[in-house]
Amino acid sequence: MGFLDNSGDIILDAVLTDLGRKRLAEGNGRFRVSKFALGDDEIDYGLYNKNASGGSAYYDINILQTPVLEAFTNNMSSMKSRLMSYSENDLLYLPVIVPATSLGESAFYTGLRSYIVLVDEETVNALTTNNNSLDAGLLNGYRPDMGTNLLRTDQGLNTAELSKDSPINPSLLETQYFVQIDNRLGFLRPSSGGDAENPAAFNPTTIDDDSIATYIFTANDGTRVVTNIAAGAESDINGPRGTRVALKLASSLDMRTSTFLFTQLGSQGTANITSGTKTLLAANYKFIDSTVRVSGVSTGYTLDIPVRFVKKTS
Amino acid sequence: MATSFKTFDPNKDSVVTRNLLHEAIPMTGTIVSGTYADLNIKNYSHGMFQSVYDYPFLSSSANHIFDLTCGYPATSSLSGASSTQNAKKINIYNQMAQVLAGFDAEGAVRRFDKDGDLTSGDKINEAYFINLTRLLSKDEVKKGSFTLSLGVNATYGSPFTETINITDASGSDGYKVNSPAGEYGILFANNGTGTPMATADPQPVGLLYYQAGIAVLTASVFGGILSSSAEMNASAETVDAVLSGSAISGNCDDLRHRFLNLSFNNSTELNSTVYFCRTNNTDFNYSSNPTYLSASKMVVKNNSQDVPVSYVTAVGLYSPDNELLAVAKLSEPLKKDPTTEFTIRVRLDY
Repeated sequence: MGFLDNSGDIILDAVLTDLGRKRLAEGNGRFRVSKFALGDDEIDYGLYNKNASGGSAYYDINILQTPVLEAFTNNMSSMKSRLMSYSENDLLYLPVIVPATSLGESAFYTGLRSYIVLVDEETVNALTTNNNSLDAGLLNGYRPDMGTNLLRTDQGLNTAELSKDSPINPSLLETQYFVQIDNRLGFLRPSSGGDAENPAAFNPTTIDDDSIATYIFTANDGTRVVTNIAAGAESDINGPRGTRVALKLASSLDMRTSTFLFTQLGSQGTANITSGTKTLLAANYKFIDSTVRVSGVSTGYTLDIPVRFVKKTS
Repeated sequence: MATSFKTFDPNKDSVVTRNLLHEAIPMTGTIVSGTYADLNIKNYSHGMFQSVYDYPFLSSSANHIFDLTCGYPATSSLSGASSTQNAKKINIYNQMAQVLAGFDAEGAVRRFDKDGDLTSGDKINEAYFINLTRLLSKDEVKKGSFTLSLGVNATYGSPFTETINITDASGSDGYKVNSPAGEYGILFANNGTGTPMATADPQPVGLLYYQAGIAVLTASVFGGILSSSAEMNASAETVDAVLSGSAISGNCDDLRHRFLNLSFNNSTELNSTVYFCRTNNTDFNYSSNPTYLSASKMVVKNNSQDVPVSYVTAVGLYSPDNELLAVAKLSEPLKKDPTTEFTIRVRLDY
């Protein structure tokens, strides 16, 4: 996309997103605009200079000169960071969401800064003998109910300037999350429960035109996905803690039974994967890199968690 | 409680409007009659009409701009077994007439009427048809904007020594609505270069159907209205002679030979919904942008008493399911803090 002409009056470049056009074409009333949000995707607040010698008029001179791109029509490419409304004007700290990797069960795979999802039984058996004992960062996508490894994020004020034992300001506490995943690759599963015959499952709220599934989880909604982090409890958040999201990932049927998506979207392995004494050689698997996006509904913060889907091919 | 969405009040935060968008379409005659050595002219084996492109039509860059054809009714004096493509010319006339002029009370196809008064008056019996493509005419030709210049010099080899201008000058305030194909105006001819017309007064020479994007020209633009009839081909035949003795494609070639310029404005009807995104002083003063925080501390504040500030570059319109349906981008960042309020007006066109 080009930049918008910013030499004169402020103009607005508005487009329907691809999802908006799809909903319009469906003609079933799902194209209904009911609310709006403001975004600031291009802004680098690091350019805000609170020490500008010319005074406050010069604090944001560089930000105001930021060129703005034309609107993207892809609904997943826009409005990644939204502006927030808080009733208080005296907030100095805002909550963030971080991957809870210091907790053993939800640590990233060593050296990769990513989770690895093993998509089928053969791949799982290449790294464990009983389907449930895998090194940290390796998620059993074939049987999510087996094993203890999971994907986990913590929310709160990630600062050492505030005590981790302090309760978080209630207006900064996130109680509802959007979690998005590519529906072609995998599904979200609860952190416990289910078995091979009756896997516990969640239903996405929506699946967009790019096959991105959106799930919504709320504290106390019975799914046990969103839970409060007790004050002072172990967490990757350094200051006052908010809520935790804990999930497992299941691979899709296509990923389990076919190599088509791995051929189309993936790559040949580049490094051996090890778990205990077992090793999956790089030459013997293919992988697809994707993300799981976790967004706070009220606090707006978004975290993209890297996830690598791995399939043994030989 | 924090929030990043603000719900519209359906009674006052949106309004539906209708706007017309006009484009000027200038078309130089050289494209029609020579620039591409007729590589932009497409003739068909059926011979019913001829298509004109703005570039050699075998190129993917070519745009179809209009079609030409001609015809006369069975009652025309030109109609006869010896006339070339007689049936096809009658078919063309009747097809155009039934679509554009409709049927009379007895179910017979009406002929084109020179002044639009269907109850009486002269009819257009021998006609050229210029069918503008939807690419150019869009929803309709703007009334009062149509100008066609034709070379009408008697000598075939120098057609543009004398010209006439054909306009729908009356269209902006006087047009007809008694056609099944929508509104139409009367086309009048005036002297352009020189004084080729037999009388100085504007003469009705055709009809312009605005929504259909079709101009109907009487063949007398090259004959009856002129002091000296134009030679339509190198054999110096009159317009009546070529209409009866030449194929439709040959007649179209002859028309293009005398085609100097065509210009008009088109209109596109835009139905718009305007959303008023009202931001109060307490709204949207913080950001979830990752660069907004350093170790969870806002980078735009030194202490808690400083006012928060954020910068707007985009407006997202969402469904009740939080699906992003439309995006609007501002051309420059807009500062938002607790001392400011504004309303951003987002217009979606359909």
